[in-house]
Amino acid sequence: MQESQHGVELRGVSRIYTRGGEGVKVFDDVDLSVNAGAFCALMGPSGSGKSTLLNLVGGLDRPDSGDVVVGDTFLSDLSESALAEWRSENVGFVFQGFNLVPVLTAFENVELPLLLTGLSKAERKEHAMHALELVDMGDRAKHRPGQLSGGQEQRVAIARAIASDPGVILADEPTGDLDFESACQVLDLMGRLHTELGKTILMVTHDPRAAERAERVIHLDKGRISESSEGTESADDGFREVKPREGEGA
Amino acid sequence: MVPFKLIWRNLLRHKLRVLLTAGSLTVAFFLLCVLQALVVSLDQGVKNASKKRLVVQSAVSLFVNLPASYQGKIETIEGVEESMKMTWFGGYYREPANMFAQFAIDADRMERIYSSVELVEGSWEEFKSSRMSCLVGKETAKKYGWSVGDRVPIVGMIYPRLDGSEWQFDIAGIYDASQEASIDDLTMYFHWEYLDEAMEAGAAGGADGIGVYSVLLSDGYSQAGVGALIDGLFENGPQRVQSTPEGEFNAQFVSMVGNVPFFVGTIGMGVLIAILLATLNTMLMSGREQTRDVGVLKALGFDGSAAFWLLLTQSLLLCGVGAGTGILLALGVEGPLQALLGSNFPGLRISSDVLAPAVLLAVAVALFAGLAPALRARRLTVIEALREEA
Repeated sequence: MQESQHGVELRGVSRIYTRGGEGVKVFDDVDLSVNAGAFCALMGPSGSGKSTLLNLVGGLDRPDSGDVVVGDTFLSDLSESALAEWRSENVGFVFQGFNLVPVLTAFENVELPLLLTGLSKAERKEHAMHALELVDMGDRAKHRPGQLSGGQEQRVAIARAIASDPGVILADEPTGDLDFESACQVLDLMGRLHTELGKTILMVTHDPRAAERAERVIHLDKGRISESSEGTESADDGFREVKPREGEGA
Repeated sequence: MVPFKLIWRNLLRHKLRVLLTAGSLTVAFFLLCVLQALVVSLDQGVKNASKKRLVVQSAVSLFVNLPASYQGKIETIEGVEESMKMTWFGGYYREPANMFAQFAIDADRMERIYSSVELVEGSWEEFKSSRMSCLVGKETAKKYGWSVGDRVPIVGMIYPRLDGSEWQFDIAGIYDASQEASIDDLTMYFHWEYLDEAMEAGAAGGADGIGVYSVLLSDGYSQAGVGALIDGLFENGPQRVQSTPEGEFNAQFVSMVGNVPFFVGTIGMGVLIAILLATLNTMLMSGREQTRDVGVLKALGFDGSAAFWLLLTQSLLLCGVGAGTGILLALGVEGPLQALLGSNFPGLRISSDVLAPAVLLAVAVALFAGLAPALRARRLTVIEALREEA
């Protein structure tokens, strides 16, 4: 697995949802920059826009204005199908509710994103098993999600997220549905993804103990971003230069 | 493209529900095939009937006999090559439950008028040589274990023997009428003279005369033209006649029980609509249950068309298995169906005329039931899909 070359930048991003006929601003002209290989925790009250931010960075949602740039890619330039292809190569998702496909085994779940690569069956097997072994779930490869504990399911979900070796891992409350011990195991794993594999990680969490594992904590409230007191990076020193769009000035 | 095992396992997610839906499809397509086979059989009775034969019957009713003297007069008409008496005998073998069709005919003429009928046992000469001889269709011979040389007792209901005894017939031939659209393999043909002489001698009761005449036309003459001449000949006679092309006669004969194609078509349509709604319901439920999976797949990088085919392929598989089993079942019971209904529906077969529409209907049901959930899956965004409760 390779170290991430993917920094994340939000430039003047606004996102407005329409609820009950009225527009609700989630973000209004927000800027954010995260270095490649950084481990950031996103904290804030419910409705503050944490998940929306993850969705924008993961290409699951589009801003009403502004740019989301991951690595060298301006996501707003991509069509839906190009965005799907980009996701398969660059982003791994870890969800609060694990979201494993219940009819597939752990191995088959981890193999899913690899089906979109050009790997042969043998190569897919090798990659999937490697990912499962990284999360210490190699011996549960043939188990279905219903036969696993919550912690084990989340570890399989992490294996699925890293199977295709994406640069960015987006985790939406990955410990939210877990007991303390399982949550610690998952956070250990997230830490290893950061320290050993150099992945860029954005993790939404409500749990301050989980946030402590990150090197930078970003607080969101009412569509505004405030930096963490605990983080080792600041908004300024975390800035990474992003290539301008074609036709834009440098 | 999503892996086949994901499609298949999602289809079997609720085994009982899938089993019940597939079972309903099986029953429905079995029925549709059988009903379609009945309609096709009727159509083919008309289409494949000889263009060279007419059936002459009483203009009053099929149940009113014509004078025997009409045969000679019919044969004087230009365009008539030959004619054959055919009188419905209405008997059974030993027990009333063993009823099958018997006709008293001109034994020496049948070979020429129904030249497609082939004897698989015995010979025409043997049949013609003795008045007690008869020909039996191969299915009836098989059913009762008869073979050439057997003497079979038949109880006459329309023409009973007055001493209460049974009629005796010697089997001189067993025929195969698979190349003859107007004759099935279930009937017995015997000498009209045998019947006539018994009645003349006072040994048997029943109505005098001839049920119908089967008339063979000479080459180059039309059924309508010769039919009009025959009808005109007896216009002012003691018994007016009605000449009908053989195919039309076959269709009318079956339609005496009602408008069979309409009746059968209505039942078929009802069955089809019911199974359409049942399959749609199953696929809609299935689509709802897989909403999260669709969200996950899209988040991982699968596009909308993968989600679309995930659902549509399940519908195609469900209908393929269910309808396919029904179609195979229908093919499997073709023989028993012919034995059961062949006398009223000659040429009853699960042919390509039945199979092709059945396969097309199965695909149509699959598309109808699968398109709505498949289109929804394609349209759903990841966020919407993952938000939805499983």
